[in-house]
Amino acid sequence: MRARLERLGFIPPLVVVFTLLLLPVVIVVVTSLTTQQSPAIPYDGLTLEWYVELTQDRQIVSAIQTSVVVGVFASVLAGIMGTVTAFGLVRSEIRFKESLATVMLLPIMISPVIIGIAILRFGSSIGVPTGYPMIILAHSVLTFPFVFLIVRARLLTFDARLEDASRTLGANGLETAFNVTLPIVAPSIVAGMLLAFVISFGEFTATQFLTGVGTDTVPIYIYTQIQTGLSPVISALATALVALMIVTSYLGDRIT
Amino acid sequence: MRTVKISDSFLPSSVRKRVTPRTLVGIGVLWLTLCFIVPIVFLLYESLNFGEGHLLANYEQALAWTYINVLGRTFVYALVTTILTLILGYLTAYYIAFKSSRPMVLLALVLLPLWVAIIIRFFGVRLFFLQSGPVQQLFGTDFGILFSRNGVVLGLISALLPFAVLPMYNSLRAIDDDLINASRTLGAGQFQTLRSVILPLSFSGIVAATLFVFILAAGSYLAPSIMGGPANNMMANIIADTQSYSIPLASAMAVVFTGLLLILVGLFNHFANVSEVLGDL
Amino acid sequence: MLEVTGLTKTYGSLLAVDDLSFKLEQGEFATLLGPSGCGKSTTLHAIAGLREATAGTVYLRGEDVTDVPTNERNIGFVFQHSALFPHMTAKENITYGLKMQEFTGRDHDEQAEHFLEMVELGDHGDHKPTELSGGQQRRLSLARALAYEPDILLLDEPLTGLDRVLRETMRNEIKKIQREVDVTTLHVTHDQAEALSMSDRVIVMNDGQKEQEGPAKELYRNPQTEFVAEFVGKSTKFTGTAASPSAGGDGDGQVVAANATAVNVGDLQIHAAAAGGAADERLSLYVRPEEIDVHETPGGGDAVNSFSATVNHIEYLGHRNEIEATLEDGTNVTAYGDAAVDVEIGDEVTIQFDPEDVIVL
Repeated sequence: MRARLERLGFIPPLVVVFTLLLLPVVIVVVTSLTTQQSPAIPYDGLTLEWYVELTQDRQIVSAIQTSVVVGVFASVLAGIMGTVTAFGLVRSEIRFKESLATVMLLPIMISPVIIGIAILRFGSSIGVPTGYPMIILAHSVLTFPFVFLIVRARLLTFDARLEDASRTLGANGLETAFNVTLPIVAPSIVAGMLLAFVISFGEFTATQFLTGVGTDTVPIYIYTQIQTGLSPVISALATALVALMIVTSYLGDRIT
Repeated sequence: MRTVKISDSFLPSSVRKRVTPRTLVGIGVLWLTLCFIVPIVFLLYESLNFGEGHLLANYEQALAWTYINVLGRTFVYALVTTILTLILGYLTAYYIAFKSSRPMVLLALVLLPLWVAIIIRFFGVRLFFLQSGPVQQLFGTDFGILFSRNGVVLGLISALLPFAVLPMYNSLRAIDDDLINASRTLGAGQFQTLRSVILPLSFSGIVAATLFVFILAAGSYLAPSIMGGPANNMMANIIADTQSYSIPLASAMAVVFTGLLLILVGLFNHFANVSEVLGDL
Repeated sequence: MLEVTGLTKTYGSLLAVDDLSFKLEQGEFATLLGPSGCGKSTTLHAIAGLREATAGTVYLRGEDVTDVPTNERNIGFVFQHSALFPHMTAKENITYGLKMQEFTGRDHDEQAEHFLEMVELGDHGDHKPTELSGGQQRRLSLARALAYEPDILLLDEPLTGLDRVLRETMRNEIKKIQREVDVTTLHVTHDQAEALSMSDRVIVMNDGQKEQEGPAKELYRNPQTEFVAEFVGKSTKFTGTAASPSAGGDGDGQVVAANATAVNVGDLQIHAAAAGGAADERLSLYVRPEEIDVHETPGGGDAVNSFSATVNHIEYLGHRNEIEATLEDGTNVTAYGDAAVDVEIGDEVTIQFDPEDVIVL
């Protein structure tokens, strides 16, 4: 009885928390089905016309293409650099190891507005064009810490005896790396890259400074639309994005 | 499972010897320096005034009353968000860790929004309170949420809750159940146990949550820009606006703001290792 | 087959292995025995090439392999807690070694099957290591290390983490398989029972140095150092100094332990430190528990080395009892009492042992 009462006491804050967490996503999905001309709750019937419109809007299709290209390149770059750095830091005996690990996390700590402006200014000064090159570089910097953290966490629990075992069984360093270490660490690397892809796909703040002609990403497009006037197409686009990201996260979960 | 055989001569021994963990760290540091640290330092350079007047003239401007005001607002918003998020987050983490019969489902629901782009979640919050949204339809008012301080804080809480719940849940989960049982058998009541056993043992999670939420809230651009009005602009918005007409001034503000945040993180690092704390994510 | 000379390993200022030398003959099963931190594991890793030695030479098959990388040494190594590859099946774990060592004696598949059978895992070839029980994992680890027919098998505390019953069965299995494939084996453990029961020869290590080596029986019967006497098997210890013949009451040698228990050690003439004897050499005497008789009648006796003691602990082992008793001078005595000896804690008893059964160091 007492235990049940205690659990009841948790209900109000839990309702608040899960409302705050989930309702924004739910309402985006729901309003994408409205028959009205603005994203409203569909009281009177459902329609998929906004999804049809989605595929016909050239700006949207182009934004999706841009986001996919950026996401793929940025997550691969972040994946490589994050993995290399995590391996190096975990396996080497250097001074200030912990401080260096903290420095690797600075891209999370500094506001993306500042990172965006910094990359824009420095990039322009050395001749890097805006658009793909700058967006990809910025996104790889912003997502690098996540890959680094995930791979590092895996390596810290990696049993180094497995590599010793491989050596005693006759494998040289490269064979050990490819047959033992990488297969065991790979799921974490892939999970880190998927997370990087998802973050890149949703990044707005730094990206707004770096787009060039014809390289608006999906979040940039959504932001412009939110500011200028609302169409349920935005809800449909957002819903499609949510679906894509959840599928990605599910894939990530399956792998790890 | 396919295994590969690679001859030792595949890589010349000079290369093999040179690829040590140190080299790898070097590659990572070099890359991060070029793509991130140098650009940030470049901003520092751009914030200096090499023309007429004082070298730090831009800083005099950046520290003018209007901007100090925004800086203060930024930290107040971030602080309020952090406190509220921490309270709600701790209750949620505690419930999931100790009381729930389906902890994994609840945890998945907490993490799910992390996979949804933050702009979409703000968009959702805004839709909720918009003229056509359910709140106004039902109550005829948005309760002063939209385009206000409350809206910004609400948006931030909604966006940052997962970052609070996750580390605190991890640290609560790591507490040995027998420690809690021991406290109970030693005669401590539920509240006493919470205060003298559970809270101290979940301290690292609370520290991590505080750090995450505060840093992300303070640096947020989208929450004020989508949920707030012009009077609710935070540092990120002001810097972005200024950037369009005065790079030096925007740089100076960025330097001041980042400097302050890093000092805070440094203070934090003093009694909790940041890289370890962030590893909880 | 294996020879180690002058092996030394330092970690910073810490001397882990100090000028260690020993030799193993073809087919021999030897054990490095010592407490944790004595350098035995470091020695094994240096032999495998997994850790570089600071100084010294390792010979395998008569060749100097000190600078040969691990993967070219043709050794079999069984790790603590198995170190099986979690992403490979049981069989793949075995074929991995065959492939990497470029084993040519037989088809890899057949050889793997053969070794799976040998360790009674014939039906488990497709299982992942996590699906195997603790004992099965250890057996697979052994099969993996032996399948490519290495010249030497190195066992690094292979039974760590198993429960006592399983450890005892595994000891016998390892020994049986080792005999079957007739491979020279160097085993490392801190468990003296394991060392004594499995090995042809035991090398006792302490503080990075070799204390003594020899067959198990000899270490037990004739320990050469106090460390070996105390580390290998149980015993009752007396300390004191030698007495001159005249000082002793019975004419024969005796030692006077801390509070004046005179121990007769036969030919040796020993006297107590407390009595301020002329001889200044401090001695330690050890008596093994099975050499001590326990009599229910109290008050000592006329026989030589017969003392009165109070029982303070009894452990019932079934066929016999392990009895701990305290002498009047406070010395703790451990003895095996026949199951028929009926004593209880607090009883006054008489303990007795023969002078020739005393080990003097």
